[in-house]
Amino acid sequence: MASRKFWNFLICSLILISSAQAFDYDPEGKLVFSLGGEVSVLNPILSTDTSSGAVEGVIFTGMTKINEKLEVIPDLAKSWEVSKDGKIWTFHLRKDVKWHDQYPFTAEDVIFTFNAILNPKVNSVRRSDFIIDGDPVKFRKIDNFTVQAMLPKPFAPFLVHSGIGILPKHLLEGKDINTVDFNRKPIGTGPFKFSEWRTGDFVKVVRNMGYYDGSPLLAEIIYRIIPDENATLVALEAGEIDTAGIPAKDYSRVKKLKGINVYEYDQLLYVYLGLNLEKPAFKDKRVRQALAYATNKNQLVSLILKGLGTPAYAPSAPVSWAYSDDVPKYSYDPEKAKHLLKKAGYEDLEFTCLVNQGNKEREKAAIILKQQFKKIGVKMNIRVLEWSALLKIINKPSAPKDFDAVIIGWSLGLDPDAYSIWHSSQYPKGFNFIKYNNPEADKLLESGRTTIDRDARKKIYAKLWNIIASDQPYVFLWYPKSVVGVRDRVGGLSKPGPAGLFVNIEKVFVKK
Amino acid sequence: MLKNNMRKFVAQRLLQLIPLLIGISLISFFVMHLAPGDPTALFIDPNVKPEELARVRANWGLDQPIYIQYFKWLINAGKLDFGVSYITGQPVISEIGERLPATLLLMISSMILTFLIAVPIGVYSAVKKGSWFDNFFTVFSFAGMAIPAFWLALMLMLLFSVQLGWLPAVGMFSPLIKDASIVTRLLDLLRHMILPLFSMALLSLAGISRYQRAAMLEVLNQDFIKVARAKGLPEITVIFKHALRNALIPIVTILGLSLPDLFGGAFVIETVFAWPGMGRLGVQSIFQRNYPDIMGIVMLSAVLIILGNLLADIGYALVDPRIRYEKISKK
Repeated sequence: MASRKFWNFLICSLILISSAQAFDYDPEGKLVFSLGGEVSVLNPILSTDTSSGAVEGVIFTGMTKINEKLEVIPDLAKSWEVSKDGKIWTFHLRKDVKWHDQYPFTAEDVIFTFNAILNPKVNSVRRSDFIIDGDPVKFRKIDNFTVQAMLPKPFAPFLVHSGIGILPKHLLEGKDINTVDFNRKPIGTGPFKFSEWRTGDFVKVVRNMGYYDGSPLLAEIIYRIIPDENATLVALEAGEIDTAGIPAKDYSRVKKLKGINVYEYDQLLYVYLGLNLEKPAFKDKRVRQALAYATNKNQLVSLILKGLGTPAYAPSAPVSWAYSDDVPKYSYDPEKAKHLLKKAGYEDLEFTCLVNQGNKEREKAAIILKQQFKKIGVKMNIRVLEWSALLKIINKPSAPKDFDAVIIGWSLGLDPDAYSIWHSSQYPKGFNFIKYNNPEADKLLESGRTTIDRDARKKIYAKLWNIIASDQPYVFLWYPKSVVGVRDRVGGLSKPGPAGLFVNIEKVFVKK
Repeated sequence: MLKNNMRKFVAQRLLQLIPLLIGISLISFFVMHLAPGDPTALFIDPNVKPEELARVRANWGLDQPIYIQYFKWLINAGKLDFGVSYITGQPVISEIGERLPATLLLMISSMILTFLIAVPIGVYSAVKKGSWFDNFFTVFSFAGMAIPAFWLALMLMLLFSVQLGWLPAVGMFSPLIKDASIVTRLLDLLRHMILPLFSMALLSLAGISRYQRAAMLEVLNQDFIKVARAKGLPEITVIFKHALRNALIPIVTILGLSLPDLFGGAFVIETVFAWPGMGRLGVQSIFQRNYPDIMGIVMLSAVLIILGNLLADIGYALVDPRIRYEKISKK
């Protein structure tokens, strides 16, 4: 008994020395996250919600992952090469990885996962990521720790997509992945092992001592499901959770609270007013530019976001490596707007703007824009719709689409490829629901995704953003900041950035 | 004789269940599909191609004509197979099964608590009509009806969880308790239950005590009470034996009608206190257009409403000496 205590002491002190943190960390530390939505399914190829994604992020790992700067870095694959023509990607896998049930990880698991995604019977929408112009990416095993992906044509976003969580073949082969029990008690390769899931209440994961990048400092992570925004804040104040998103309206109050640190960071996200270019008035570029001139973006940011955001001028985000500031801005100028409308012959323009019910920020934006447009004599009616009903209208698979304008946002992927949003082929089926059509933009969108070299792509996208911004098919509104409160007992956070505060979850700890 | 008639009555009502349920399922199924949007709307993501969404829809059988979808559903439902949730891939029955205990626990205890408090308040208010006690609870009741549930819930949380730190604010179990004994776990559950329980009781207390007061007042003004009093019976006997028994009838009706609530849960309270109940599942399924879940919940509520009414009818016979189901077969 005494000797075991001694060993415990010795091990603890060794960990303490090796981690060399400024604080004493609690080896039994438990971190409690809050999730606003229910966790639906713990399988990275099936889930589409952020709550499930958050939990999967610590249980599963992929061949690649991203770092604080949003760069793709090795994970299960220790390195990779691309052939000169950009079509063959070879990944060299780590040999020291074990599944949470101690079964060894091999190339078989990788091949199995990608084949499962491509299987039409599996309800995975991630299949889209591996079908390029109608042809699937082919995966093959070279040896036990080398896999090769053969692309029908060069496709730069492939590298980001290759980071999807890998599933264990030995547990899933021959089973119906859509409904298998595994989705409720998953086995992965990540830093934390699944432990308990109380539906609608919490999900618990525990430290994986055998994690290939070193045992995590936290003993447990609990994901607590709290659907109500106000209740989440109360729970943070009461110390029942360690971190929560802070709505703009509560920002200044929470900032003053003792024991809670507030972090702000930019996200890969922009909110816009989309104009249906099928409507005669919006076909005229001058009308669209007039609306942009009439929009006081600074006022929107200060009234709606309490300053926790920045005005947007381009269909990219400043935190993206492909962002470019070299775009026409159409800064607030109601006189110029009036003038443009007069020239276009739409002085008494009236249109209806859709906005989704329940999103307070966008509802407020609609009301403020209505006032701003009134100043140039444009009447904007507001129609508030439930989210599904709104999507039904703008995603209608056939032309014409029955709306004038919509306030909505795009959450951007890690790769700047925006083909599905702007390419003329993506209308009426697809996400170019406003019918943007510019042959020059089409060409840039095509070369942007087939060029692999990053510097070359940067130039392509800078040009593209400039063209789109000058066409102004969307009136770009703002980039919201993410505001997160974290209890001060938590340490080891990554530098605040679009990847969040918990990029290196295995290094996060709770102070003693 | 009496028992036999009762049995016949119950059997008849149970038989009526089948056509009724088919009718309900038919209407709900078609109305549900009339709502715009479909379950794949959740997957909106610029990287997902429309043909992939169409493929997933087809996997779910949503590409078939709606009447075929309905018949397929009906045949499976006949075998008590309500399908698989689109969102979680779990059978609808187990989705509901996971939520039901939490809901039943909260709803039944809040109902018992409410009745235990509300009935005596109602009776006493009626007997002492116009007293300060009656007046106080009149004001209290109106306040209770006027207060929004989410506001009351948040105020209780702020007071008892943040300011005083006595009770947990959210959830059903504390995830930090490890390897605890059954007693510790039960106490933990109880602590988590107190705030939602009292919020719900405070909110429904008002209505029920008002009903009870009105029913009691009506009975107290009737002739047989006067007779009882004239006979010189003690007031206690008059009130509890003669008046209350009759005044409980409307309350039994309310009890019967609120049985579906027991199952349906309380969405607002569950949302604010993060209680993992049926109310949240139901509302979420509707927003997600998770058709199998919606149908499963609708059908189970339908069964419960019908059974609830039946139980209320039987309850009448037990509490009210005037109601007997003797001639029911000729009705």
